[in-house]
Amino acid sequence: MTKKSKRQGDFQKNKLKVGQTKPKADNATNVNFRSKTIHLPEQLKHGSSGPTTHRNLNIKDLLSQLHHFNSNVKQGALVGLRELLSAHPTLVEQYASAVLSEVAALFTDKDGSVRAAAVRLLRFIAQCISAERIAPFFPLLSAHLTCAMTHISEPIQEDALRVLDVLLEHYPGLLSQRHTVLLANFLELISQRRKAGTGVDKSGKGGYSLTISTNRSVTAQQWRLTVLLRLGNFLQAVVEERPLEEDVISRIGLGMWAGEKGSVTPVDVSWEEHVFGKGRIQVFENSGAVPTPRSTYRLRPDSKPGAGMNKELCSAETVQGFAGTLVPLLLEIWVEAAAGDRVQMDSGHLLSAESMALMFQILTILQLLRRLTPQRDQQDILDAWFRNSYLTDFKQHFMKNFPYGLLEVARHKKKADGKRIRLQVASETVAGGNVEPMAVNVSLCQVMVTLSLRGQDHVALEDADWLGPIRVFIRETLSSGGKLSSRHLAALLEVVWRMIVTQRSRVVTDDLLQAVFVQYQQRNLSVSVRTLLLRFFSQLYIQEHQNHPHIARSRILARWLASLPVQLVQLGSRNPQLSAQLLETVQPAAARGNKDLLQSLQKNACGLYDSQDGCVVVLPVESQKRLVQILHFLPAFPAELLACLSQVCNTGRVSASLATTLIRTIHLRSPLSGWSSSSQDVPVKDVDYLSFFFTTLTGFSSEMLQALQDTDEDGLLPSSTLSPLSVFATTLEQFLHHWDVVEVVCHCLDTLGSRAQCFDVIQSAISKNLCGLAVVPDCVCAAILRCVPRLLDVNFLPSDKLLHFLSDCCLSMLNLLLQLEQSARKRDAVWEACFAALSAVPRLLRLVLQSFRVRDLCEEELPLLAQILSLLLQHTQLRNHMIANANQLQLIIQDLTHFYGGETREQWLTDLLYCYSVTMSGQRANMAMRDMY
Amino acid sequence: MSAPAEIVLSADSAGQLFNCAVFDPNSGAEFLTYRGGNTSSRSLTVLNGEYILGAQLCKNFINVWDIQRKDQLQQKIVCPGIVTCLCASPNGLYVLAGIAEAIYLWEVSTGNLLAILSRHYQDLSCIHFTDDSSHFVSGGKDNLALIWNLSSVVQLDSSRTPEPRHILSRHSLPITDIHCGLMGPQARVATASLDQTVKVWEISSGEMLLSVLFDVGIMSVTFDPCEYFLFCGGSDGNISQVSLCSTSLSRDKTFQSDSDGNQVFKGHGNLVTCLSVSMDGTLLLSGSNDETVRMWDIQSKQCIWSINHKGPVTNATIIPAPANMFLSDSRPSVPLPRFSRHLNPSEQADGTGTGGMCLRLGANTQEPEGTYLEKADELYSLMCAVTDKSMFGDGENTKVRVSELEEEMRTLKKINKDLYEFSSQLLTKPN
Repeated sequence: MTKKSKRQGDFQKNKLKVGQTKPKADNATNVNFRSKTIHLPEQLKHGSSGPTTHRNLNIKDLLSQLHHFNSNVKQGALVGLRELLSAHPTLVEQYASAVLSEVAALFTDKDGSVRAAAVRLLRFIAQCISAERIAPFFPLLSAHLTCAMTHISEPIQEDALRVLDVLLEHYPGLLSQRHTVLLANFLELISQRRKAGTGVDKSGKGGYSLTISTNRSVTAQQWRLTVLLRLGNFLQAVVEERPLEEDVISRIGLGMWAGEKGSVTPVDVSWEEHVFGKGRIQVFENSGAVPTPRSTYRLRPDSKPGAGMNKELCSAETVQGFAGTLVPLLLEIWVEAAAGDRVQMDSGHLLSAESMALMFQILTILQLLRRLTPQRDQQDILDAWFRNSYLTDFKQHFMKNFPYGLLEVARHKKKADGKRIRLQVASETVAGGNVEPMAVNVSLCQVMVTLSLRGQDHVALEDADWLGPIRVFIRETLSSGGKLSSRHLAALLEVVWRMIVTQRSRVVTDDLLQAVFVQYQQRNLSVSVRTLLLRFFSQLYIQEHQNHPHIARSRILARWLASLPVQLVQLGSRNPQLSAQLLETVQPAAARGNKDLLQSLQKNACGLYDSQDGCVVVLPVESQKRLVQILHFLPAFPAELLACLSQVCNTGRVSASLATTLIRTIHLRSPLSGWSSSSQDVPVKDVDYLSFFFTTLTGFSSEMLQALQDTDEDGLLPSSTLSPLSVFATTLEQFLHHWDVVEVVCHCLDTLGSRAQCFDVIQSAISKNLCGLAVVPDCVCAAILRCVPRLLDVNFLPSDKLLHFLSDCCLSMLNLLLQLEQSARKRDAVWEACFAALSAVPRLLRLVLQSFRVRDLCEEELPLLAQILSLLLQHTQLRNHMIANANQLQLIIQDLTHFYGGETREQWLTDLLYCYSVTMSGQRANMAMRDMY
Repeated sequence: MSAPAEIVLSADSAGQLFNCAVFDPNSGAEFLTYRGGNTSSRSLTVLNGEYILGAQLCKNFINVWDIQRKDQLQQKIVCPGIVTCLCASPNGLYVLAGIAEAIYLWEVSTGNLLAILSRHYQDLSCIHFTDDSSHFVSGGKDNLALIWNLSSVVQLDSSRTPEPRHILSRHSLPITDIHCGLMGPQARVATASLDQTVKVWEISSGEMLLSVLFDVGIMSVTFDPCEYFLFCGGSDGNISQVSLCSTSLSRDKTFQSDSDGNQVFKGHGNLVTCLSVSMDGTLLLSGSNDETVRMWDIQSKQCIWSINHKGPVTNATIIPAPANMFLSDSRPSVPLPRFSRHLNPSEQADGTGTGGMCLRLGANTQEPEGTYLEKADELYSLMCAVTDKSMFGDGENTKVRVSELEEEMRTLKKINKDLYEFSSQLLTKPN
């Protein structure tokens, strides 16, 4: 039974009843979940054959898809390539050849969207690859570009210009090498070759005529504008990629007034660096056996042809050949555009924005054509050729309505016309923004002025009809008081320069320079404009002054030069750069002995060299140096100027080295120095010279010394028996500065002709100005002590008054020496001065010893006296002089031991006695030796 | 006494004892003195080894001595103004003088004034030729140094003003001295200036190679012949030596202190106005405003000897000894003509009737010579004629011809001998 019941338990059957829910089966599936897709792009990208795009295509697939017949697939492949390459920049290098060749082939694809995508891809690649790396593929690229530019389908031509834009932006150098092909292509874009058979080919008009196609999306004029814009950019690239000769660079555009630059960088060392082995010089490396490439001697042809640049386009003939076809086309384009404008209004002076842009491009291209030849002589040939061939055309078409203006009214009218507006927007985007009428007028001036010939009178008369309006325009523009941007101004100044140099007439020169001067005198010019004008004048003066007497005689230039020192004074410290610029002109002009400038300098000298707020103290170091150098050229040094300069030397606002330069300059300018041989003019009077040097030597004016007598500041050390003068301690900085100055002053005075007279003057000056002072600054004491023994002649006896003052100084200084702990340099300087004075003037030592009156000293001062004495005794070179005063010395020491009432022998006394005994014993030994023989 | 290879020539501005004197570079012994007047600075020059030219201080003439007749002035060349510097070309054909702000160029053979170059704005301070006389460099108080090409200056017709080849304009104060290195147009030039710098330039390109900034104004400068060192005399009396080629030797010398005393010649007390190095680069001569001339040993930087003058030294230079300086009986091979004071040579020729002829190289003045091709043809035909004769003429004919020619030669020799004897008699006769 039990078996049965178990078996039943295994297979129980649930009974299902109607009305009850069916229990769930054990193995029922739970469907309570949602499914989502999972992207694993990383996994897909790293397939077996390199990285892939999100569509799981690797680079080989994409490249092969570029050959697909369906344009959508091609476009997709191009987009994919861009995605792939931007994600994996390493692939760009790896597949450069394949990608470039495939993409280039698509420049001529018949579908617009494919071409657009190709251009976008090219732009991306160009950003990644440098010019050197793309160079091997460039023939291929340019071949496809040429193909696209000459394609029969016009949309492809238009897109080819986009490709050109990309290449111009990134590889101007490579593209400019292809100029032979490309220039022809440009011509083809806007014109077609005249058939030889059509006969009536006006001579000189070239073999091309303009084309007009009606089925373009833009008008013929706009199309030409876009092409000309590219042509201009291309020529710009050609010109810029070429190594120009120096003098040509200096004549072009903004660079005209840039500073000079050489190809050899000179070695620049200062003597200190060289001495201490820092600045090693290797001149032979700088320019060795091979002469520098800039040498004007061509000993042998250059072994390296200059980077394989376009040799063909350098000569005037080739440029003439190209210009011969291009210029007639440009003229024709302009005539058509002008005619179109003329329909709308009567006057030819006003142009629509579109014609304005066209004009600007034409003029830009004309300017660039001229600059294609790098050599100067070639340029002259080209100028002459242009003049012969096209002067009449230019006069007729460009100069007839010369100052052009923008047609404002016409634009308002156009706004009503929706279609027109759209077109205009298109043209503006194409032409790259609006062109100001000023830019057009200025560049027209530039073009026309190059046609004027250098200085032949009859030609000048001939040209008067068209140079006249230009002159009027320039004068009015410059003197109208309006603000000009620096670019326009630079161009205008270039025109002015050229006109001045070519016309050689004083009237024209003064007329134009007056206009520039008016512009210069405006108040609130921006710094760049101001510097531009400044450079213009200064270069005009420096470069052309000698060759052209009419420039040299110009009153305006003279007035400008004379105004420079006033401007410097007025500027003060407000604009150091501008001041530096001014000084750069003032210095050469002063060196050349320009009378106007020198007079003005002389008049303003006291302002420039004022010690409080003159330029020489407020400007930066470089300008200070220039100002000091300019001093050398001043015609005369009146007493008040020398007073200013002396203060400048001593106030410490110029460095010590500059102060020494200043002092040496004045020394050299004085006839006393014996350097300048011509003795007619005396820039520095002897009296002034000596008083300048004495003032500089003391470093304090008499007023300051007087003021010191009455003050009681903390720097004052009171006078005592040991220090008869009350010493005013100057700061360390001031002391050292003055010390350096004194060194130079001593040296200069030392080299004067008659020493006795010089010393006499100094002695009387000291006794007049300094003796009798109760308070003396320490630097003055040191300076006097240093100066006197150096100037003293053996045969000359100094006066008692001077000696007494000197001994007072010496005592005070020795006393000061013991109290100085702060600076070793000051101690050394003071000791050097005292020692020099004592050893050079034996009477001084005796006086000093005599003034040690031990009786009058108080207890505390005895050790000080002992220290001073032992200092003097220790010095070997003073020893002989001390021995000469042995009696005096003995008295002092006896007194000292007598008056010192202390029980124990102090250290200082022991030291002193020891020193004394050593000195005396040495002397006795000597005596003994002498006795023996 | 054997004549020395080099001599020292010096002058001072006082001129009490002599105008200029010649010394032995090794001992400082005085050989010769030239009397009369005194010489301004940088204006003593030896012309062609035969004359000494010195510009008189503050006067407008140039003193000229025969180099062996020391006591007498040979002549005075009167100039249009005070001469500030003077230089004779090393080949002895031209003389340059700086007078106020203009450079005057004379041709020695005729005395004609060939050019007046006024490109400087202020007085000239010094002028110097390159060693091959092809270029010269002038420096002035207007901070400019100009490099001129002699041939371009001489050849140009008067309608065009000659232009300097290069303008060196980087100094900011007057130029005090110029020294030209060797190697002609490829040489380097050193300029010293009061702006405390010495600058080295290349003549060929006009580029600056080196600028050394000192702490005093520099009054004189010179190279040694190898251009290893640059010597700069300062206005404080020190002479600084700048080494132009830093060798790798400096690594071996590290323990030797490269201190100040190592590179400075100290001894003068005032402006060093002139410097000169001997041919072998071992001796340095310096003259100073402290009225001494000193000779230094370059290697050890010690003063070997010094001579006291009576005034500031204006010129001191070491030059190769001219051949007939010590032969008292020799004469200059070419007499010095009168130097003309005006640019136009025709006026001068009319007045004096020197009969000298001016030869200038130039395309328009040259004789139209036959081309080389024509000359070669001529020569060829001549040779052909000779060979034709010897080849095809009969033997006897040539013998006769030879004997004729020998006869002619004998007579010619006799004539020559007679001529020689006659002239030697004439010359040896006491005059």
